[in-house]
Amino acid sequence: MNKEFKPRITSFLCKWCSYTGADLAGTSRLQYSTSIIPLQVMCSSRVDPVFLLKAYLSGSDGVLLGGCHPGDCHYETGNYHTRRRFALVKEVFESLGLESERLKLSWISASEGPKFARVANEYTEEIRKLGENPTRKSIFL
Amino acid sequence: MKAKVGVYVCECGPNIAGKTDLDEIITYLSEFRGFGDVELVVRKYGFLCSNQGKEYLEKEIRDLGLTHLVVGACSPRDHDSTFKDVCGKTQLNPYLYKIINIREHCTWVIDDMDKATEKAKSYLRAGIARVLYQSELFESPIDVNPDVLVIGGGVAGMEAALALAGENRSVTIVEKNDTLGGRAGKLRGFSFQEFNKPEQVEKLIETILGNPCINVFLDSEVTSVIGFLGNFEIEHVSLESKVITELFCGSIITATGADLYETTEESGFKYSESDDVYNSMEITEMLSSGDEITLRSGKEPETIAIVHCVGREELGYCSGVCCTVMMKTANMIKARYPDIRITQFYRDICLPPSGGQELYAAARSSGVNFVKVQSTGLSGTTVKFKEKNGDEGEQFFDMVLLASALVPSKDTPALSELLGIPVDETGFFQEAHRMTNPSATTTDGVFIVGTSQGPRNISDSMLFARASAGQILTKLLVGEKLVPEVAVTEILEAYCTGCGNCLDVCVYGAIYPDEARGISIVNEAICRGCGNCYGSCPSGALRTKHFTNIQLFREVDEALR
Ligand SMILES: Cc1cc2nc3c(=O)[nH]c(=O)nc-3n(C[C@H](O)[C@H](O)[C@H](O)COP(=O)(O)OP(=O)(O)OC[C@H]3O[C@@H](n4cnc5c(N)ncnc54)[C@H](O)[C@@H]3O)c2cc1C
Ligand code: SF4
Ligand code: SF4
Ligand code: SF4
Ligand code: FES
Repeated sequence: MNKEFKPRITSFLCKWCSYTGADLAGTSRLQYSTSIIPLQVMCSSRVDPVFLLKAYLSGSDGVLLGGCHPGDCHYETGNYHTRRRFALVKEVFESLGLESERLKLSWISASEGPKFARVANEYTEEIRKLGENPTRKSIFL
Repeated sequence: MKAKVGVYVCECGPNIAGKTDLDEIITYLSEFRGFGDVELVVRKYGFLCSNQGKEYLEKEIRDLGLTHLVVGACSPRDHDSTFKDVCGKTQLNPYLYKIINIREHCTWVIDDMDKATEKAKSYLRAGIARVLYQSELFESPIDVNPDVLVIGGGVAGMEAALALAGENRSVTIVEKNDTLGGRAGKLRGFSFQEFNKPEQVEKLIETILGNPCINVFLDSEVTSVIGFLGNFEIEHVSLESKVITELFCGSIITATGADLYETTEESGFKYSESDDVYNSMEITEMLSSGDEITLRSGKEPETIAIVHCVGREELGYCSGVCCTVMMKTANMIKARYPDIRITQFYRDICLPPSGGQELYAAARSSGVNFVKVQSTGLSGTTVKFKEKNGDEGEQFFDMVLLASALVPSKDTPALSELLGIPVDETGFFQEAHRMTNPSATTTDGVFIVGTSQGPRNISDSMLFARASAGQILTKLLVGEKLVPEVAVTEILEAYCTGCGNCLDVCVYGAIYPDEARGISIVNEAICRGCGNCYGSCPSGALRTKHFTNIQLFREVDEALR
């Protein structure tokens, strides 16, 4: 495996929980993996399957989707929809022969700064083991 | 017009400047050619959120004629609105600006200066790419009606009305019954808490009726509700004259109370109208009015059974007030008829911290008999029970009193439909959030208080009533306009097939079908812009303003470049 491999993990974080959790990791000066590329969405449910695919096809080595814990979504039931849709995309990934580990869903509340940092680090390690996104190599599909 | 994007990186003292090479970032971005012929102005500044910083930014936007603005600084939670307001003072539409969180998501979490610098560059690149695809949005403030409708005139509804009228709000109470007061009104001589000295409900009713800000409609029901926070149109009908009255208000408080559980034969309670079996409401009304406690035959009872937790098993929750009611009942009966022998069949005893324990101790010491059981049933006035050790037994009493659970009032389903507010698994109205927002609902402007929301005592009912009044007083200010969310979702008519998928997904009921045109339409006044509906549309007809696909795609692409 390429020693230089620096994973890049596109992270869609809902404004009310996960994004704020990531802010808290910052305020607490927790050092975590530089692979994370945080992007804010209003609710994890805004991240429909197309987004996940897009982030993958654009060359993300991993795609992280962060939302409020089930029952805590700022928009009541949004993350229940997220959970279902996410499971579906994973299946689609698998049936296409893609590595579904490239997608990760995590519930991180606004008060879970340390959890955010931990998920970031663990997922980076996981992706490091998987190696580079195959679409980034010249021939694919 | 050629785009001219201003990129301002905040130093935030040492927080950003000390952790990244800002000059390197500025040089890199100034020379970056990835955005075609877009002109980039890249600068740094000490503290952008200071007054001087804001003035500087305002002047830059004006003098340079910027068409877009990217601010590399702290979390949007800290200063997004600060810089939005700065834009608002200039020719630049605030929705053509974006804050990039360099501090919390980069310099505070990456110690290595080179790595942090690289990271900051990619965040800023992504921000520029996104902002170029943002569109102008215009906030259109709407007039709001500060008046309030209260449905139900029990203690909860009355307390909310008084709290609002105290701040000179016009309040209308629509009460189904021919009197105000609800349950507490019927129990004036009974209640177990400090509040409930009989004259207190009386006084509350008098204050309400004498308050010029409060309009009361008795014997009336609400029949139609349309509109949204700030602008509701209501119709209510007099149950007697059938006259329909129209009413306009900005928010609604639902205070329609609870009913008592009715036993069934299947659950082991077999008795008829002629048996001396009474529920807690019936006995407390007797005690409260000072009437003699007699059997239907006219004789005085010698033995009374009190059966606890009636309905608890079937319903799956504890009503929290019944045990205390029954302690007080036993004590009142004992005080007036010391010779009556009382037995309480209980499973658990649930007593509130204030006063409950004392009532229980008093019942014990006055000789009330307590029997702990696993389950109970009735056959006429014979109590059948299963003891703790599994033994079954039965015992005849002259009179049986049932501590029946509180259940959702029978109007709850209809009101839920009318007001567009959900009920929870127990069938009571459901709050927006049990911990953080316990008296609001998923429909903005509609609140729930008192026992319509679940079993509780009088003081808790009144507490929540005041809380919802407080929310209304701070949310809907007299004379002030409301700025509805503009980053909402719209449906592109050309793509929509009217399949209705999105209707089911939106918890706010913001989407409605336009049958004539065979499409669905978003009511922008209700939509919160969460974007959940987006993923449900098979035809790609939905577009969430300010969070469009192209905006996010460009952001992703540039971040990954
Ligand atoms: C037997 C018994 C004894 C109790 N004793 C005590 C006690 O001693 N101390 C204590 O703190 N708590 C006691 N409680 C609990 C107490 O009754 C409640 O906490 C309190 O009455 C709740 O007030 P509320 O305003 O929420 O509901 P309610 O008092 O039930 O008032 C609801 C009102 O809404 C009206 N309404 C219903 N549907 C509609 C509609 N569709 N349109 C218009 N109006 C409508 C009803 O007519 C009623 O006036 C007791 C409860 C019971 C059952
Ligand atoms: S705008 Fe934010 S980053 Fe800049 S000085 Fe103020 S707090 Fe610091
Ligand atoms: S964006 Fe959210 S609130 Fe708006 S219509 Fe869609 S699901 Fe409903
Ligand atoms: S899901 Fe899409 S196509 Fe179906 S009604 Fe809604 S907007 Fe129209
Ligand atoms: S707002 Fe966080 S998941 Fe919906």
